[in-house]
Amino acid sequence: MIPMFSKILDMKSPKESNVVGLNERNINLIYPNNNKKHYPLADDKVLTKEILHQYDIPCAETYAVVAYNSDIKKVWEECKHYKALAIKPARGSGGGGIKIIKKDDQGNWTSSGKVAEERQIFQHMAAIIMGFFSLGSHDRVLIEECIEPDPFFNRIYPAGVPDFRIITLDQTPLMGMLRMPTDRSDGKANLHQNGVGIGVDMKKGSLTQVYDGKNYFDYHPDSKFVVKGKPIPYWKEILKISIATAKAFPLNYLGIDIVIDKNKGPQIMEINVRPGLGIQLVNKQGLKETILNKNDFR
Amino acid sequence: MNSQTNLKVVLVLITVVALFSIGFKIQPILENYDDFSPNTVYKVNYNYFFKSADKNTAVKSFIPKSNLRQRISEQKSISDSTLYFTKQISENGNVKGIWKTKKKNTYHTLNYEFVFEGKEKTYMIPRDFGEISEKYKKYLKPSENIQSNDRIISDLANVLKQNTSNDKEIINKIFDHVKAIPSAPIITLTDAITTINQNRASCNGKSRLFVALARNLGYAARVKGGIILENTNKRTSHVWAEVLINKTWVPFDALNNHFAFLPANYLEIYKGDEFLITHTPGIQFDYAYQIDQVNHISFLKMNAKEVRELSNISLWSIVEKGVMPQNALNLLLLLPIGGLLVAFLRNVVGVKTFGVFLPVLIAFSLMHTGFVSGTILFVVLILLVGLVSYPFDKIGLLYTPKLVISLSIMVGLMIMATVIGIQYNIAWLTMLTFFPTIILTIAAERFSRATVEDGYKIAIDKLFQTLLATAVCYWLLSWPWLPSILIIFPECILLIIAIAMLLGRYIGIRWTEFYRFRPLFV
Repeated sequence: MIPMFSKILDMKSPKESNVVGLNERNINLIYPNNNKKHYPLADDKVLTKEILHQYDIPCAETYAVVAYNSDIKKVWEECKHYKALAIKPARGSGGGGIKIIKKDDQGNWTSSGKVAEERQIFQHMAAIIMGFFSLGSHDRVLIEECIEPDPFFNRIYPAGVPDFRIITLDQTPLMGMLRMPTDRSDGKANLHQNGVGIGVDMKKGSLTQVYDGKNYFDYHPDSKFVVKGKPIPYWKEILKISIATAKAFPLNYLGIDIVIDKNKGPQIMEINVRPGLGIQLVNKQGLKETILNKNDFR
Repeated sequence: MNSQTNLKVVLVLITVVALFSIGFKIQPILENYDDFSPNTVYKVNYNYFFKSADKNTAVKSFIPKSNLRQRISEQKSISDSTLYFTKQISENGNVKGIWKTKKKNTYHTLNYEFVFEGKEKTYMIPRDFGEISEKYKKYLKPSENIQSNDRIISDLANVLKQNTSNDKEIINKIFDHVKAIPSAPIITLTDAITTINQNRASCNGKSRLFVALARNLGYAARVKGGIILENTNKRTSHVWAEVLINKTWVPFDALNNHFAFLPANYLEIYKGDEFLITHTPGIQFDYAYQIDQVNHISFLKMNAKEVRELSNISLWSIVEKGVMPQNALNLLLLLPIGGLLVAFLRNVVGVKTFGVFLPVLIAFSLMHTGFVSGTILFVVLILLVGLVSYPFDKIGLLYTPKLVISLSIMVGLMIMATVIGIQYNIAWLTMLTFFPTIILTIAAERFSRATVEDGYKIAIDKLFQTLLATAVCYWLLSWPWLPSILIIFPECILLIIAIAMLLGRYIGIRWTEFYRFRPLFV
């Protein structure tokens, strides 16, 4: 009883802890910085990439965009010579509806290790267009080049596509984390889908602790590979394209998702107008503190 | 001026206007605060018509008096000047009105009018009752129509007494036995033994049998007489039984299944096996009870006119003119309060619910169905519909058609349950139609989607939080004073807007976030 009581007394006040809660995020960060009319630029990946291309910011090459069912076959003829493709709904959320297909040695398309018939691929595209992955509204299919993660990540955990999340406010990167898949996350890197978050020391450009939603580690919980203190490859580049992205969009509070391709280096994957707050837990740091010190990062 | 200052100005303005208007009414209301707080108010009028005989004629009728659960006021006797009205108090405490006339062979009308304010009352019964003091021994004795020492009564009483271990169980057995006797609208006097023999009775036979059985087994008991008040004119009065349990007379109405409970609309008039009206024999006589429900504010000692004069800013005129049913008005007024509560729970506490206002609407449904059975029904419906629509989720249907399937399943379930409930006489199963079908369906749909996307653990957790929010809403909204307060102080709606504006700018950490971010707080 008494230790528990003293635990409560020892708690920091919200002010001291510098944690930003959902209320404060919405009122002080999202509403004043992100105008609702510009949300589609972030929510629709096709629009996002149009702007990225316009400003020559590196991102996965767009092979095709399909807006109508009748175009599926025609577009497929143009794309089928590639060795690997990523098929995505333009307005999907939480990674739903993303299909990665690759050609095997016999020239068959495979998806998650299984042979995928052309018919199945067409069906998937039709489902995207009908809005199956974007809550009932009509959507477009985005077909783009498939990212091959940098070998740096293989040593930490050898499956799925890990990505960085960088929070920017007024074109200044505030906080970052690396999201990695785990044995329990089915190749996904999202924290709430059992992935782990790895904190980032923004000044040194190195990884800090690993957070799995409950506990902190110095290593990836499955591979036991120690990440604490490991320098992040292309860190300067990552910061540079984050700032460039933040400047390219009329949105001042962003969560920018970045992957590192083994050939092309850091690439912007997508941007979020309502980035989650779990990043504070991963970095053991409240966002308010970084906002107060944000000029240090410039 | 920036938008922040504008907001503050609006906020202060709204609050000041509302408080100013409330302030005008608060003084008279505090002065008229009524701690009696009746549930219902009726104006009752005995209408008696008779032709006097060739000699002095008298009409006598018991008249009610106030006690702990009923308040009688504004009693008035209106009749022609030849009728002479007196009151007589008998030794057992009954009050009788007596109207006498010396005028012969003439027609007379007399009205006795009063206002009844009643509360419902539930009595707690101990397992074993105490000794009966000497003063109450007379309530153990048999009478002409309550033949409590007769062999037939004794035999039945002994059967009922078997396999019981305490006084409460015995009373329960007697009650259940008398309740099970088929009821019939028999107007003529039915004594206790006749009730057993013909195995059907109205209130008077059942009450006499109940009292006879109780007395036979050594419990002081008596018949109680009165009228069940409804918004209509009627000629039927009512009797029930009372058992003396540790110095308290506890009511039992085996005809209407009220066990140790008296509803708010029961007007108690007299005790003992008596007749409500007696008159000189052989005269022409007719009667009716004229009963009108009176609108009231439960915590105010004011009549309708005084409330009306309180202020122009009140919804009392809507209530008085019957522009809309009182229930509908209450529901409408409670909606913003419920909404505010949900907003608080979501933005300050951090409770996550399926559907923003679902907890408020479910709380309203629970007021009809009862809290426990309603909550169980709600959970079962959500789980069943979620379960049944799961295969349709897997097929990969578009959102709206899938919702139609869930809605159809929900309607099917509701109809099925209602039919089964009526067939097998299970009251709580027939309550399903009180639930807001469409909103419930959407909630079930969200629940099944959450189990797919976030896993059943998170979905169940969210369902639990929805239930928690519903319970809090139910607790607040079922407070009986709340609708009355809103009717007198509709300005509260303005205050709700002001509070909602404050809530809308609240940037504090939600209580649940203290848990979520606990590593950052230590």
